[in-house]
Amino acid sequence: MRTFDYTQELPVVDGQPPAKAIDDVVSKPLDTKPGKVWKILITITSLMLLVGGGALVWTFYKGIGVWGNNQPVSWGFDIVNFVFWVGIGHAGTLISAILFLLRQRWRTGIARFAEAMTIFAVMCAGIFPAIHTGRAWLDGYLFPYPNANHIWVNFTSPLLWDVFAVSTYFTVSLVFWYIGLIPDFATLRDRTESKLKKTIYTIFSLGWRHSTRHWQHYEKTYMILAGFATPLVLSVHTIVSFDFAVSVIPGWHTTIFPPYFVAGAVFSGFAMVQNVLIFVRQAFNMKHIITIKHLERMNQIIILVGTMVGYAYAMEFFIAWYSGNQFETFTFINRAFGPYAWAYWIMVSCNVILPQLFWSKKIRTTIVPMFVIGIIVNIGMWFERFVIIVTSLSRDFLPSSWGMYTPTIYDLGILMFSFGLFFTNVLIFVKTMPSVSISEIKAVVDGAQPSHRGGGHHE
Amino acid sequence: MDDKGNKKDANYWRGFSELNSDPEFLKAKEKEFADELPVDSGEPEMSGLSRRKFLTLLASSAALAATACSDYRDKGAIVPYNKKPEEVTVGNPSFYASTCTSCSNACGILVKTREGRPIKVDGNPDHPVNRGKICATGQAGILNLYEPSRIKEPMVKTGAGNFTASNWADIDVKIIDTLKKASASGKEIAVISHTINSPSLKKLFEDFTAKYPTSKFYSYELVNETNKINAFKKSFGKEGLPVIDWKEAKIIVSLESDFLGKEGNPVEAMRLFAERRDVMKEDVLQESMQLTIGGDSSSRKEGFNRLYSVEGNYTITGANADYRIKLRTDAIEEFVYALISAAGENKSPINDFINKYNLKKEVVNSLVEDLIKNKGKSIVLAGAFLPESTHIAVNKLNDLLGNTRLYSKDYSETPLMPLTPRKEIEALTDRMNSGTVGAVIHFDTNPVYHFSSDYKYTEALKKVETVITMSEQMNETTSESAYALGISHNFEGWGDFKTRAGIYSLQQPMIAPLYKTRQKEAVLLNWISDSPEKYTENDYMNYIRANWEKTVYTSFGAKTDFKTFWNYSLHDGVVTFTEKADNAFAFKNEEFNPAPAMKAATGMTLTLTRSNFIGDGRFANNGWLQELPNPITKVVWDNYASISPAASEKLGVKTNDLIEISAGGRTLKAAVFVQPGMADEVVSIDLGYGRTGAGVIGNNVGFNSIELMRKNPAVSDWLYQDCTINKAGGTYEIISTQEQYPIDHERYNDIHLKREIIMEGVYEEYVENPKFLKEEKGETHLFNIVPSYEFTTTKWAMSIDLNKCTGCNYCVAACNVENNIPVVGKEQVGKHRNMMWLRIDRYYGGKSDDPKVSFQPMLCQHCDNAPCENVCPVAATNHSPDGLNQMAYNRCVGTRYCSNNCPYKVRRFNYFNFRNNLADGYYEQQSLSLLHNPEVTVRSRGVMEKCTFCVQRIMDERQHATQEGRALDGDRVKTACQEACPTNAIVFGDLTKKDSEIAKHRNHELGYHVLEEINVRPNVTYIAKLRNIKPEKKS
Repeated sequence: MRTFDYTQELPVVDGQPPAKAIDDVVSKPLDTKPGKVWKILITITSLMLLVGGGALVWTFYKGIGVWGNNQPVSWGFDIVNFVFWVGIGHAGTLISAILFLLRQRWRTGIARFAEAMTIFAVMCAGIFPAIHTGRAWLDGYLFPYPNANHIWVNFTSPLLWDVFAVSTYFTVSLVFWYIGLIPDFATLRDRTESKLKKTIYTIFSLGWRHSTRHWQHYEKTYMILAGFATPLVLSVHTIVSFDFAVSVIPGWHTTIFPPYFVAGAVFSGFAMVQNVLIFVRQAFNMKHIITIKHLERMNQIIILVGTMVGYAYAMEFFIAWYSGNQFETFTFINRAFGPYAWAYWIMVSCNVILPQLFWSKKIRTTIVPMFVIGIIVNIGMWFERFVIIVTSLSRDFLPSSWGMYTPTIYDLGILMFSFGLFFTNVLIFVKTMPSVSISEIKAVVDGAQPSHRGGGHHE
Repeated sequence: MDDKGNKKDANYWRGFSELNSDPEFLKAKEKEFADELPVDSGEPEMSGLSRRKFLTLLASSAALAATACSDYRDKGAIVPYNKKPEEVTVGNPSFYASTCTSCSNACGILVKTREGRPIKVDGNPDHPVNRGKICATGQAGILNLYEPSRIKEPMVKTGAGNFTASNWADIDVKIIDTLKKASASGKEIAVISHTINSPSLKKLFEDFTAKYPTSKFYSYELVNETNKINAFKKSFGKEGLPVIDWKEAKIIVSLESDFLGKEGNPVEAMRLFAERRDVMKEDVLQESMQLTIGGDSSSRKEGFNRLYSVEGNYTITGANADYRIKLRTDAIEEFVYALISAAGENKSPINDFINKYNLKKEVVNSLVEDLIKNKGKSIVLAGAFLPESTHIAVNKLNDLLGNTRLYSKDYSETPLMPLTPRKEIEALTDRMNSGTVGAVIHFDTNPVYHFSSDYKYTEALKKVETVITMSEQMNETTSESAYALGISHNFEGWGDFKTRAGIYSLQQPMIAPLYKTRQKEAVLLNWISDSPEKYTENDYMNYIRANWEKTVYTSFGAKTDFKTFWNYSLHDGVVTFTEKADNAFAFKNEEFNPAPAMKAATGMTLTLTRSNFIGDGRFANNGWLQELPNPITKVVWDNYASISPAASEKLGVKTNDLIEISAGGRTLKAAVFVQPGMADEVVSIDLGYGRTGAGVIGNNVGFNSIELMRKNPAVSDWLYQDCTINKAGGTYEIISTQEQYPIDHERYNDIHLKREIIMEGVYEEYVENPKFLKEEKGETHLFNIVPSYEFTTTKWAMSIDLNKCTGCNYCVAACNVENNIPVVGKEQVGKHRNMMWLRIDRYYGGKSDDPKVSFQPMLCQHCDNAPCENVCPVAATNHSPDGLNQMAYNRCVGTRYCSNNCPYKVRRFNYFNFRNNLADGYYEQQSLSLLHNPEVTVRSRGVMEKCTFCVQRIMDERQHATQEGRALDGDRVKTACQEACPTNAIVFGDLTKKDSEIAKHRNHELGYHVLEEINVRPNVTYIAKLRNIKPEKKS
């Protein structure tokens, strides 16, 4: 083991860039016309959005029978995708809120981006519960609103809890993100020469003048919101897991689900953030702001939560055997050796086996392997939801009603739609807003903080 | 003061002008009010419009504009009766007794009509044969009435080969002319019909022949009992088949005879068979010991009967057998001979037989032992498709065992007209080819499809001057005809039937013909009429009436006048009286061959079997029947070549692979279905599929196995020895509603028993200790963390007796009709999206070479702790105070969470609007909207649905109870499945009434709930199945 000097804080930003340089680097994508690569990328993502949107329109026209869902497998890609995207949406708040409260200064470089991704991921996730219903035009029934029939929603249904959990999470994440953006909008307002941009930034910066008073309020608000968001990180996926845990179906009816789902969500979220950050730091020349160290730390978290997920897999099997419940025993053996065994083993190898490569420092600090593993983790996590939902439903209590589920091109189309939406949003985000928090980075540059060692204060 | 002297009477006056009778005042007095109402006052000169009028016009034009531009969905007009028909009360059903014509069994039916349209068919409870029950085909036949592709008027073929609509008047003239010419020139008029079991029709044929002397009548059935009938005639010298007294039968040996599924009248056979498996009858317990000892009591109360089934196919009868012996079909005759020897105390042939075919020695010995012990109380039956020689041997065996005692003393089946022998059909085609046949009339038959291609019937038809086909729908034969005459459905016409000696029934219309059709008998009648232009719809009724007055009325010996008799007969639908039946059965030994004529061959044996539901193919265009799963294989929409797992392995094929079957010089390509329990040397395929002229629903469904039939088969029309099967390459998807998991695999073997979904026991064990099942199962300790709801007034529950359930699927058909369940089509069933609320689950126990089948009707269990209810986010599914798990379709958003959380997976989801998804909007055609039960909502896309326990019927009873001022009587509510169940296995009622039937069943020692341990508290009790096997064989 390496010896470590804990008295010295590790630098979060490479070198000691002056404040102006940080402004310039971060706002460069906003000031320049989109490049060729960006144009190609947005063409691809919006095509995904468009073609996938076609699948969605066709679904609305014909009915969700165009999907592969059936009886017994009434939930297929729709809810798999929902849980997948909610999971992706977990990293953002974890990074920005929990790591903020834990005073993890290294989060600054990646927090903004992770938060934005959270919002986009939750947007993608939110689509699925809305479109998965047979009569999407009646989704309003899911909200408790006063009506002439005196019909209230059913508060015992986990699906209803989902509605509240996800919408709360989305709202809080959005507010948190926006509050963080206000000082940066002010910075951008101050330096832009375009009239139009100035107007827009003026509106969104809410009259921010970088005054100490503002900063004081800001820091407090930010802290409170972080505290507010922290329980949500745990609650949202816990509630999503209740969709399954509250049911009676073997393979769903499990008490381990809440922690297991939260760990899985953090796992996939970090993998996704890591993936996209690699692109961004490469594309926008931010290697000194989003450093290899950032990525390495993310990879360390990935291996931690990945192992937690692996533990959950093992524990599910153990309990299935230990409980002596024949239905549950069958379900788990069926997962590993039944007709969907391929999906199960993809899940296990992607989520438990391959991430173990991160034990090697070389792999977790080299861009290409970590990028590949990040992708693999997300494939694995998508399959985890597939395995949980589809294998449990396809063979439950009565063998007479067993049935296989096969997705159709419309299922794949809508999955593509969600990815198209996510990446289009990401691309628009990086060209319109500071993808790294200017003000926070300035604060963590070596010597930026006024201290007894005599660092200079930024403007 | 006027001359009338008013003044004198006027004691009171309103002024001097009145007192003085001023004429102006009197005029004003006529009006009540002094002034005009100020409606239009002062304004006419301004605009011609008052303020009121202006506003009225403004409002009405706005309303007009608004409604004219809106798209109000219901464009149909609702027109009330302005004169109420006598027999119709809007909202109340009327019932008509009639006779079913779906097959030749002529069961009595009771048709429910609403506002004049038939919506449901049930059995006629007064009919002595089917006793209020009717098969699936009979129930679904209602769809044929509203079938959009019916021939709506008489059609004539034009020169170009297309049909154009004509009218009856013209056609009558032309055809009568043709018939007269043919008759005059001595050319034959051939009328080809199905089985004739109508006395009036028989008379009509005679009258027709009188008018046109060259007429000849032929009748055929694709699947028939000719071999059996001929054998019986040879054996006992009697016409027709005996009716078996099932109640007397203690031991039943079925040799490939599917009497519980496809042969004879299964509706009756199932009921009588199950009556001796009723655990609710106390005598089952008390006197059953006699059976085990083999005592010689003549009492009828002798506990369970025992069914042995010896077969090569897997049939419903085999599935219900206590012992099933798997044996290649063509060895049956040798088996019968061995049994005959064994009955004569010579055991060596049977022992040789056991060794030769590797049968289970103890089972066969038990069979022999039972037969000998129960002489005169057992019956041996052979499948109708087996050759005559087998049937003669079986008759010999029954005679030897004294089992002819079981041939009913009350009834016999005496056919009015025997089916035309093959040779005569052949002679007809010869005459057609030689040009001596002037006209062929297909009397609602489809011989182009049904006849073996050996007859070259289609070519022969081309040589006939005039070919007339009467049919409800276009078919293979209409396209070869000059005339396609649209005929009325059963429910639109009159008829009479002789079911058995002494049982006569009537068919009456319950709806006027929907189209310009005539009933087929009336068409013939009109052609012999002196004034055909004066046709009325009552002609044939008058003909039947006249005939009955002379025959049935006189035989019946009624003390009333004929009109009263006739009205009563129509009301009841059936007339019974004692007709002389000959009860002496003496076997003619000279007909008995000393050695079996049919011997097992070396190659495979092909059996062609009747379809379970689509008859001889005439119901191929009925989606309800195509989608009704085969009771054993659960396959829908297709037929297939069943072979055993071992045979498929040997051939290197699996389910869905195409094979080529060659038999008797013919070949057919068909898809394989690997059927556990088939004899390894048998390949079996259903008839009636692969039609090309049936219509949008029935075309190209399955394979036309008629192609394998020969006109002069070596053994039997339906049995071909030494056939070969080869892999043909390619696949064809066979869809089954149940997944074919590997039953031999340790993980799946007997999984239904391990999970206690099916609970079974041995009859003997039950007799010794009625509580054995509960003791075996042990107690489940269930607790609720919240207090459970107390049902105090009413609580609905159901019980299903698995001892009586034969797996026939009639209840499923009834449920489909009652609850407007859509046909979804093969593709959607393949995606596991069939919509049936009730299904019969079939489980294979044991190993795949000889599995035991268990059936279980599965429907919504209406759980007290329903897991579907607490997960619905919008409370669309919830519980009623009388214990029903309800669905509010309007509230349902379609999250499908309820279905996921249903442990029984009985919920059904409308993935599409299934009303326009089948065959390009099949359901949206106008006539089909009449089909629906108005009491049940037609569900739209995106809505979850499931069994409601026929809530509409519960509400009907509730309404009646309220009207009559009495308490709700749960026993009066009959669910559709309960009503249809031929064995009365289903009991429904109010659990809070302690003396109700349902309460008795619920508390029965054999009662159990499926998946009790997950504490959903289901309300469907299953009565565990008892197999009447000898205890030492208990595995």
